[in-house]
Amino acid sequence: MRRLSDLPLQRQLTWMVQATCILSLVLACTALATFEWLDSRQDGVRDLSTLADVLATTTQATLTFDDADAATRILKSLHSKPHILGARLFNRDGEPFADYLPPQGSCSLPVAPRQDGHSFELGHLVLYRPIFLDNKFLGTIYLQSDLAEMHHRLMLFIAVSLIVMTAALAIAMALSRRLQRLIAQPILALTRTAQSVAEEQNYTVRAPALGSNELGLLTKSFNHMLSRIQEQNFALTEGEERIRAVLNSALSAVILVDASGVIREWNAHAEVIFGWKRPEVLGTRLEALGLSPDDPTLQGRQSVTGGAGGPGRVDEISAKRRDGSTFPAELSVSPLKIGDVLHQCSFITDITERRNAQVKVQEQVSRLDLLNRITQAIGERLDLESIFQVVIRSLEDNLPIDFSCICTYDATAHSLTVGNLGSQCQSYAQALELTISSTLVIDQNGLSRCVIGKLVYEPDLRESAQPFPRRLVRAGLLSLVAAPLIVESRVFGVLLVARRNSQSFSSADCEFLRQLAEHTALASHSAQMYGALQGAYDDLRQTQQVVLQQERLRALGQMASGIAHDINNAISPVVLYTESLLENEPNLSSRARTYLETIQRAIDDVAHTVARMREFYRQRETQLSMGPVDVNETIQQVLDLTRVRWNDMPQQRGSVITTTLDLQAALPAVLAVASEVREALINLVFNGVDAMPEGGTLTLRSLRKAPASQDAQRGGESMVCVEVTDTGIGMSEETRRRCLEPFFTTKGERGTGLGLAMVYGVMQRHSGEIEVESEVGKGTTFRLFFPIANDAASSALAPAVPAPQRHLRLLIIDDDPLLLKSLSDILQGDGHAVVTADRGQAGIDLFQTACHTGETFAAVITDLGMPYVDGRKVASAIKSLSPTTPVIMLTGWGQRLVAEGDIPAHVDCVLNKPPKLRDLRTALTQHCHAQ
Amino acid sequence: MPVTAHPDCGPTSKTLRTKAVSLLLAGWILLLAFHPSAWSEEATSREYVVKAAFLFSFAHFVAWPHMAGQPSPPASAPLRIGVLGDDPFGSALDETVRNEAIQGRKIIIARSHTIDDLIDCQILFICRSEEDRLAPILQHLENKPVLTISDMEDFAEHGGVIRLYVIGKKVRFEINQSAALSHQLKLDAQLLSLGRVIGPISDRSHP
Repeated sequence: MRRLSDLPLQRQLTWMVQATCILSLVLACTALATFEWLDSRQDGVRDLSTLADVLATTTQATLTFDDADAATRILKSLHSKPHILGARLFNRDGEPFADYLPPQGSCSLPVAPRQDGHSFELGHLVLYRPIFLDNKFLGTIYLQSDLAEMHHRLMLFIAVSLIVMTAALAIAMALSRRLQRLIAQPILALTRTAQSVAEEQNYTVRAPALGSNELGLLTKSFNHMLSRIQEQNFALTEGEERIRAVLNSALSAVILVDASGVIREWNAHAEVIFGWKRPEVLGTRLEALGLSPDDPTLQGRQSVTGGAGGPGRVDEISAKRRDGSTFPAELSVSPLKIGDVLHQCSFITDITERRNAQVKVQEQVSRLDLLNRITQAIGERLDLESIFQVVIRSLEDNLPIDFSCICTYDATAHSLTVGNLGSQCQSYAQALELTISSTLVIDQNGLSRCVIGKLVYEPDLRESAQPFPRRLVRAGLLSLVAAPLIVESRVFGVLLVARRNSQSFSSADCEFLRQLAEHTALASHSAQMYGALQGAYDDLRQTQQVVLQQERLRALGQMASGIAHDINNAISPVVLYTESLLENEPNLSSRARTYLETIQRAIDDVAHTVARMREFYRQRETQLSMGPVDVNETIQQVLDLTRVRWNDMPQQRGSVITTTLDLQAALPAVLAVASEVREALINLVFNGVDAMPEGGTLTLRSLRKAPASQDAQRGGESMVCVEVTDTGIGMSEETRRRCLEPFFTTKGERGTGLGLAMVYGVMQRHSGEIEVESEVGKGTTFRLFFPIANDAASSALAPAVPAPQRHLRLLIIDDDPLLLKSLSDILQGDGHAVVTADRGQAGIDLFQTACHTGETFAAVITDLGMPYVDGRKVASAIKSLSPTTPVIMLTGWGQRLVAEGDIPAHVDCVLNKPPKLRDLRTALTQHCHAQ
Repeated sequence: MPVTAHPDCGPTSKTLRTKAVSLLLAGWILLLAFHPSAWSEEATSREYVVKAAFLFSFAHFVAWPHMAGQPSPPASAPLRIGVLGDDPFGSALDETVRNEAIQGRKIIIARSHTIDDLIDCQILFICRSEEDRLAPILQHLENKPVLTISDMEDFAEHGGVIRLYVIGKKVRFEINQSAALSHQLKLDAQLLSLGRVIGPISDRSHP
């Protein structure tokens, strides 16, 4: 049975109207019937009462005058009232006075009167009414009436009521049927609209507006409300979509949990990182996902939900996915108050990537640190050996590897040479049969790619069939990285790193090794560069020193050259005359001849000394032609020349240096420049003296011997060896190696570092050899090996230049009258006609004059350095006057000119002062004969 | 104890008292009237007791006119009952009217042998002793609002209003309606229905 409230509205309305009608009608009818009933009773009572009153009045007299017959007569009149069932009159004493009974009536009449009043008894109405006359009690009248009339009236009323009710109901039904539509239709329309709104969430529909009463207003309000809802819904939907879009675009999982732990929001990223779909988790509890706040992995959450952490606090937690796996996550929880309910909004970010990245970064950083340390370490090394050593040591110590080595690459031979092996991988090296300097053949695939500059990684060497990988596999190494060492696009070496396990190098490892290789290559390159730079710097320094020295020497040399010039000029007559005397005076006593020869040698030495002065600044004495030199004689001369240093000066300090000569007799002459040999030996003697500050023995020895390095090659061809041995402090190996370098000195400020270098230079020029033998604390031995002069060279030792056959007319120009005089004397002695001219201008004038007069000169001998008009101008003037006339220039600077390749123009021959008769004759013969 | 209707007295108490008194009185009358020994021994006095009651009761059914030119008698004006001649009632009449009132009016019994003394009575009982002087009496009373009552023979025929007579053991009366009219008295219909009506307009056929 459906309840009333479940019925459709129309039925409901009908029912309600019907029920109301029925109820009201029934109530009305009942009330009316009741009223009618009561009224009819009342009416009956009233009627009876009236009747009784009438009877009472009409029977007053009968009672007063005790006339029962009259009373009975009066009562008889009641037969016109059929409902009166009986009547009795009592006198004042309560005795029956007169009676009335209808003809068919059979009712019992009371025997005694009762009090005034009526009562309904057994379907009858009975009434007692006392009779008074002027307040005097006369008696009582009793009336009994049946209720048939009353019942009849009531029945009639009920019947009429039923008819009326039925009719009213029918009309009400019809009317309500019609009229309920007025209410029901708008409401139904409203309901349908509301239903469609509720079911389809369609807020665009509108209820049809009907009328302008309350329902119309309701519809209007409903429509208005719908519009508002539509707007709000739109705004809400839009807002929600926006927020949802924002939420879903978040790169964190956003989970909203209410106070009871039920999930209220779950965004797209949460689906991604947890694996739970949004519809699955909404409304469920957090614990159901295994994300219980009691979970120890979510202690951070616990503390936050417990209120310990404020907003903005970020915890790192380990969260659990749907499949049970865990991942590191970053959690921040913000308490939110939505309405009155406290929610927790959790932002969870999967930081696996970050962790991995962190780990990678840390690894990278440690690698970089290692790289940095290695780079620093190798940056401090300047030789390849130690650089490689450091690289491999560091690799072994810091990057667990099983085998490492660095090979140098020889591009021409197309082979690798093992340079350095790790100290910890000796066992592998033995297994690989690799030692330092062993050679590796370059494979087709791996190493060949490496040597063209590519990093090669062989994750599993077992897959390679090449010989070198096979060797590694045999040795138990399964993965290999070969990193090329490249400098300026050129591979000069390979770093080989291997591990026991296959696939054991990560890309980071490879990258690290590549970078390490680059750095190593760079460091190597730097080292090489540094070496080169050091060399260049040393060269530069040496050059600078040389330049400085030369500058000093040049200044000294200029001064010395002036002195030499003057000395040469001064001694020129001595030389000329002495030579002339020795040659041209056959009658000289032997004593005079001896004296003259001594003078000649002394002058020669003077000339040599002057020439040696020039060697301060002179780089080469090329024009000092090699000649046969007697080594023993030179040694003797050196000892004499250095006596001051080895004898006098040590004695001043109180130390004694003993000199010993051990000269082999009958040594062949060597082809050398005597003065240079002398100088070299002097330097060695000085060194030996310096090495013996406390005194000792200096031994000079000469012998026939070949140097050790040439023993093999030139076995029989021995050389002349000069040994200088001291018993001094000796030299360390380092010093020994470097002692020949220019500017290398152990004497501090006292030394120039050029002594032995000069010796070395001399020996180089003489194609000789030098040996140094030393022992710290014992002493040092220098050995100079000179080649033996051959016979041809020896024959040139004493050139005999005969006096020229022809007698020439010669012009001699000089500013030194002594020289002019001696030179003209000598040349005249040879039979030449000599004209002298003081100074250049005079010479040119004379030559001009002679040209005009026809007395031409066969040759002109002129000095170089003259005031106003020097030798060059003279020569130039002479050549312009007579191009064919040879010009012979005498100069105190002659050797320098020649050495510098600066033979002035128009000069045919340059001769040094002091001029030697021999040289003059040769020059004249050469140039004049040519004519 | 005054039985006059006191305005303050409630109707119930008045009614009760009246009833009680009436019952006692009625009981006593009936006792007197129907007691055989009494009736036989004192038939005359008993008869007059009833007649005294009738005399008094007639006042209830008679309406006296207002005198023209006379002020209407005050409501409290006593109702005078005159007894002309030799009083046959003894103390019965006095006892009957004692403490009685008719329509609020006290009742005064007046006795006399001269008509002039009783001319202002509303009810006048003419005793048998005055039978001889009936005509002048009635003449004297002509047109006067006096209800004349007597138990004389042919009283009504002679112009009296009501004649009392005894038939069986019951007292009855006859009424001369024209006499009543001439005395300006309105007689109640009940009275008329109970008594024998004689007179010009009465056929006397109906008892």
